[in-house]
Amino acid sequence: MKGKRQQEILKRFTERYATDASPALNTIERRAIGAVVGANGYTTVAQGDRLLTVLHLKPGKLLLDVGAGRGWPGLYLSERSGCRAVITDIPRPAIGAARLEAEQLALIGRCDFSLASGSSLPFRNATFDAVVHTDTL
Amino acid sequence: MLRACRRVLRSAGRIAYYNIFVTPGLPERLHRRALRAGPPAVASRGISQVDLLMRAGFKSVTEADLTAEFLKTARAWYEGRQSQEAQLRASCGDDWFKERQNDSRTMIHAIEEGLLRRSLFVAESG
Repeated sequence: MKGKRQQEILKRFTERYATDASPALNTIERRAIGAVVGANGYTTVAQGDRLLTVLHLKPGKLLLDVGAGRGWPGLYLSERSGCRAVITDIPRPAIGAARLEAEQLALIGRCDFSLASGSSLPFRNATFDAVVHTDTL
Repeated sequence: MLRACRRVLRSAGRIAYYNIFVTPGLPERLHRRALRAGPPAVASRGISQVDLLMRAGFKSVTEADLTAEFLKTARAWYEGRQSQEAQLRASCGDDWFKERQNDSRTMIHAIEEGLLRRSLFVAESG
């Protein structure tokens, strides 16, 4: 994704993540995803649980979530497995919301946040044990 | 992006991702329609994700088709918004509601017609 299309996508996601949560939106999210986790896509809680298994996550492992939006599923995976996580995305409102969510879940100690594009990751080679992303390619 | 992910993975590290993509092999007209119907970041290239992962240097690549679950979730978002219509119109505005539901309907039809798919891809960095 480059140029005009990338800018259009960024604008749409920024607008999406700027929408505040509300009881109505929470009700809809619970119906679609299975919980209120700040998601607005198509990865259900059951599918999040599947990631725990296939990525072999556990305490001491370091996970990178690319294009995490408000932190789903990276924060959930960290909370469930005990692994550390780095949450990345491009829209600033999304990363801000993810940080707030991490504070509420008491995950700040083992989660970091970065404004970063998936095609230009600002990390050294061979840093992570696992990478996850959902519908961001 | 997959090459960037592989670069930052340790040896024997794993990548797993859900991806919405245009069904491979569609005629150009249907391919364009699928692109318009999908969410903003729908994968648009004609190359399969399995091939892309292998080209990026990943090993032990697997794909699990989750299109049926994708359709169920897409319908749940649509029906959920419909059930909260009055509250959403009041809090997010008529245009927001109308646009979301139109986009959602278009995407649901595209999934039903086999134009869009969603899979879980898992691979190792080698």
